[in-house]
Amino acid sequence: MSSTQQQREADVSSPRRHDSARVSHARDFGRGFFAKLAIMGLVDALGVYVVITAFTVGSTVIAWSMVALLLVANVVYFTRRALPMKYLLPGLAFLFVYQVFTIGYTGYVAFTNYGDGHNGTKDQAVAALLAQNEKRVEGSAAYPLAVVSNGDELGFAIVDGDDVRAGTAQDPLSVVDAEVSDGVITAVDGFELLDRQSVLAEQATVASLRVAFGDDPAAGSIRTQDGRNGYVYTSILRYDEDADTMTNAETGVVYAENDHGQFESAEGEKLNVGWRVFTGLDNIRTAFGDERYSVPFLKVLVWTFAFAILSVAGTFLLGLFFAVVLNDPRLKYQRLMRSLLILPYAFPAFMSFLLWRGMLNTKYGFINDTLLGGMDINWLGDPVLARLAVLAVQMWVGFPYMFLIATGALQAIPAETIEAAKIDGAGPLRIWRSVTMPLLLVAVTPLLIASFSFNFNNFNIIEMLTEGGPMFRDASVPIGSTDILITMVYSISGLDGGAPKNYGLASALSIIIFLIVATISVISFKKSRTLEEIN
Amino acid sequence: MRRSILLAGVLTTSLTLAACGSSDDSTESTTDGAAGASGGLTIWVDDTREAPVAAAAEAFTEETGVEVELVQKNFEDVRPDFLAQVPTGEGPDITVGAHDWLGEFVNNGVVAPLEIGDKAAEFDEVALQVYTYDGQLYGLPYGVENVALIRNTALAPEAPATWDDMVAAGQAAGTPFPVLVQSNGESGDPYTHYPMQTSFGSTVFAQDAEGRYTNELTLGGEEGKAYAAWLAAQGAAGVLDIDTTYDIVVEEFKNGNSPFIIGGPWMVASFEGLDLAIDPVPSAGGLPSQPFMGAPGFYVNAQSDNQLLANEFLVDYMSTVEAQVALYEVGDRLPAVTAAAEQVAATDPIVAGFRDAAADAVPAPSIPEMASVWTYWGNTEAAIVSGKSDPAEAWDKMVSDIQGAIDGS
Amino acid sequence: MATTAEAQSAPSSTRVRAARRRWWREVGWRYVVGVLAIVYAGFPILYIVSASVSDGGTLTGSTALFSTFTMDNYVALGETRFWTWVVNTLVIGSITAVGTVLMGAAAAYAFSRFRFSGRRVGLTSLLVIQMFPQVLAFVAVFLLLLSLGQVVPILGLNSRVALIMVYLGGALGVNTFLMYGFFNTIPKEIDEAAKIDGASHAQIFWTIILRLVAPILAVVALLSFVSTFSDFLLAKLILQSEENWTLAVGLYQWVSDQLSANWGLFAAGAVISAIPVVALFIFLQKYIVSGLTAGSVKG
Repeated sequence: MSSTQQQREADVSSPRRHDSARVSHARDFGRGFFAKLAIMGLVDALGVYVVITAFTVGSTVIAWSMVALLLVANVVYFTRRALPMKYLLPGLAFLFVYQVFTIGYTGYVAFTNYGDGHNGTKDQAVAALLAQNEKRVEGSAAYPLAVVSNGDELGFAIVDGDDVRAGTAQDPLSVVDAEVSDGVITAVDGFELLDRQSVLAEQATVASLRVAFGDDPAAGSIRTQDGRNGYVYTSILRYDEDADTMTNAETGVVYAENDHGQFESAEGEKLNVGWRVFTGLDNIRTAFGDERYSVPFLKVLVWTFAFAILSVAGTFLLGLFFAVVLNDPRLKYQRLMRSLLILPYAFPAFMSFLLWRGMLNTKYGFINDTLLGGMDINWLGDPVLARLAVLAVQMWVGFPYMFLIATGALQAIPAETIEAAKIDGAGPLRIWRSVTMPLLLVAVTPLLIASFSFNFNNFNIIEMLTEGGPMFRDASVPIGSTDILITMVYSISGLDGGAPKNYGLASALSIIIFLIVATISVISFKKSRTLEEIN
Repeated sequence: MRRSILLAGVLTTSLTLAACGSSDDSTESTTDGAAGASGGLTIWVDDTREAPVAAAAEAFTEETGVEVELVQKNFEDVRPDFLAQVPTGEGPDITVGAHDWLGEFVNNGVVAPLEIGDKAAEFDEVALQVYTYDGQLYGLPYGVENVALIRNTALAPEAPATWDDMVAAGQAAGTPFPVLVQSNGESGDPYTHYPMQTSFGSTVFAQDAEGRYTNELTLGGEEGKAYAAWLAAQGAAGVLDIDTTYDIVVEEFKNGNSPFIIGGPWMVASFEGLDLAIDPVPSAGGLPSQPFMGAPGFYVNAQSDNQLLANEFLVDYMSTVEAQVALYEVGDRLPAVTAAAEQVAATDPIVAGFRDAAADAVPAPSIPEMASVWTYWGNTEAAIVSGKSDPAEAWDKMVSDIQGAIDGS
Repeated sequence: MATTAEAQSAPSSTRVRAARRRWWREVGWRYVVGVLAIVYAGFPILYIVSASVSDGGTLTGSTALFSTFTMDNYVALGETRFWTWVVNTLVIGSITAVGTVLMGAAAAYAFSRFRFSGRRVGLTSLLVIQMFPQVLAFVAVFLLLLSLGQVVPILGLNSRVALIMVYLGGALGVNTFLMYGFFNTIPKEIDEAAKIDGASHAQIFWTIILRLVAPILAVVALLSFVSTFSDFLLAKLILQSEENWTLAVGLYQWVSDQLSANWGLFAAGAVISAIPVVALFIFLQKYIVSGLTAGSVKG
């Protein structure tokens, strides 16, 4: 560090010596105060801008949230009280906007039937059903078409044999005088022809326009999907808005809305497209009601705990060991060695999983083929070995993180504390056990708990390495020896593609998992007493 | 040094705070062209398909003045993102896709029916059929694909007549593998193995008179068990192997370690420099081998405000011989437009070979029930090939498990 | 040092042998462990390096490492948007890292030094919130940004700023705990002495505490950078246009479809993209391991 830099640092730290009268930041009218004023002014200005824009575009929720946020921010930063909030607010604001929303949304979905077949709103479902069941009359001709306007509304003109027929949504097609050249309508009596640009400008109207083909409604109506060709369509489904029912025009069957967001006939036949509705606790009931999953559930639960605990213990011990070993100032190339050790961390994890999957291949993988000299060990096909393999890979992927943390934490232990212990005559092991380790654990215990919960839900490693396999032979569902709870949730709710997706069910189950993990974490958190201060 | 870090920190905090409260002064705003910009078309494409679609889009913009924005997506993300985004009013006007997403797309109401009128006559019949659901067309195919037997003519000059002939020829060639059939470890690969299965007369779902799949599961029965027994025997003999993943089979074939590989047109680009011939997959069970036929294509968003433009783009610009040939050039798939297919097949014997091998092909089912089948099917086949399960017993359990999964969902 | 004083009295040959033995016991074995650890950490990576210089198309299809050598893949990176992605990643990662460090450190300071009601609950909640399984994040974040974007486009979809905001939503979390634990190991007497000198809480935080905890700030910055760097789920959801992508999104996209995967390009990209992470670590090491804790505590 250069001397000028040191000088500047001395400047920064000097105020505490000169301005001995000032105690609280809120009453400090020095540089800090003006910096605060400037920042808050900026925040307020931008915040007000957001509020105004949000009201203008009609996003009242955002507008009021922003108002609340601004109020809180100004109160917190311009009172003498609320000292801790001055430090917490920025992070909390982000946390609330971006994380709590996701949790809230998941909680909301858990009580709905969102998923395949119930993907959107009722209006969308009705529109989709009507569109899907409006079918071209079989064997009907294609008619060259022009989009026309009678001044008030749009209509179609078609070439039907030697005639040109035109009409609008109100008036069925009727023969009109027109000019046609090369099969293209160039002028229609009583109508104005729209050019291509105008047609495109009105494309939503044009696409939804239906002009009755004749006076008989059963003859169907003309529609176009490109503005140039018209076809005769009939609707098989009719929606009655007042009665809120769908009627099949061919069979006469009436479909009424049921409790599950679908149209259902009296005979119990359902139309394929449904919509999202609240289903209360149905998802929870389904979750516990599917007996096919009761066989593997306990095994999965035990393995989930084993995997999470062993992963944390393994990566931590390995990372700590390397950190301690390399934490000797007499070592040459110390920096180089440390840098090389974090290499697994510098590559994207998804790649590592795919790489290891290839390396663990029984006959052609690097591990068996080269490292073990042509052994035939079925790493991912044997229940016990597959679990070991998953753990080993997690060790490789995860130890640099622990190595980093342990290295940092070891540096944090004040050298005086160690020196004092040495002077008291403690040996290296004794120092390690009664000084270093306890101090280290203070810093890292919450991380170990967090790491436990991360591995508890470590979806990627399982899905990319083993896909849960090898499968249990005695279960009737595709669940295997390395499946953990979260991958089982994906399987149950079809999110892995093995069944129609059910986001409602997945949300409900993930909340249950969350409750399990959170409970364990809170308890172990309390037990470890990491909230108690060391000093 | 440390002070400068702190200063930078203060600056960043104020910046982030500023941005938290929003900001319109950043350089970001210039590149912030969100998908769905009004007035133009937004199309989702994947990496491979981007160039040919871009070429067609350019012509489209030139002639109509309508801007086209291409948004590149991972192919595997397209399906969930399209399903999630269409109901919000976002999402593209058009997306690339695979035909087997059709059932899900239709049941979720995210895809608009497509009327291509007289153009239908220009397309391959099966390619349109796989995009048809309940009598409505929902997608525009741009290619067809199926697996066949790819043969390294330097190692095996003659096309084998039966599976056993092929294995014998493969062994006679003296290469480490008589034939390469990809699998995926414990997860299996029923798609690639389907031609062998159908040669025993075993199919997955029943088809009605018009070739449409019904939800009647047909995996069971004696044909299925005969196929299962054959899988076990081939596994024991070392011909089939669950450890030969896609990576490995491609690498080994490329290095001349087998005269035969069962695979699709997507592999061909990896085999540059080899002299290849394409034959139908030889029959293992006596009946013709019927691979699954698939068709990559385009879907139109049901909520799109640009239905007319989207339709025009697909029918007038993506159905042309040039566009379909351009798509063939990047993916080696036989075009779905017959005229383009003939043009390509005349100059490319490989593609012609895949087309001939598809003479008996069946459309890969896109019915929603299919989702419940793949996992069980693959796991069971893998367990039988690796000798872990008794073939007949495992096959029976698989059939009842799949039926249970279909009934349960 | 004690070693020299002890050794001086012994005959020279014994002295040398004893010194060597002692060296082996105290330092030498560490090299052995270090080398073994590096081999363990590094051998799978040889695969990636090998794939990046091979003209083949697979990552694990062959056990023969370095059977061919070509720089084509590296050259080909220039024809893609790779370098744009590198810049994006560095910008997004650095801003997120700095933001995370500052907000996390401020929160950790509050939790460590102030006593207020809701402190314990607050601390525990921060930890627990991060444990929520993100099965629906891809829908929820999309909806959130969709509505934010209608008000402020830059906070909406396809904006790098929005992505940074989403990442900063996770700034208070595990990292806060790491810092909290660390702050607790700094004796309170130091703040108290400063307080007596008349320093405000803000001055104590900015000029004293942050300096004492520099090693952990560096660690947290690195952790934050790496997690931003390797995230592709949120990034690929939010950043729609290719020119906005981060490295993880771009690299993933090259191999996401097995049938058309471009492993050579991917491997070359992965090797290059590992460099910033390692470089950042080397740069931050002097803060992580600087012995500055001991010195400052005294001062």
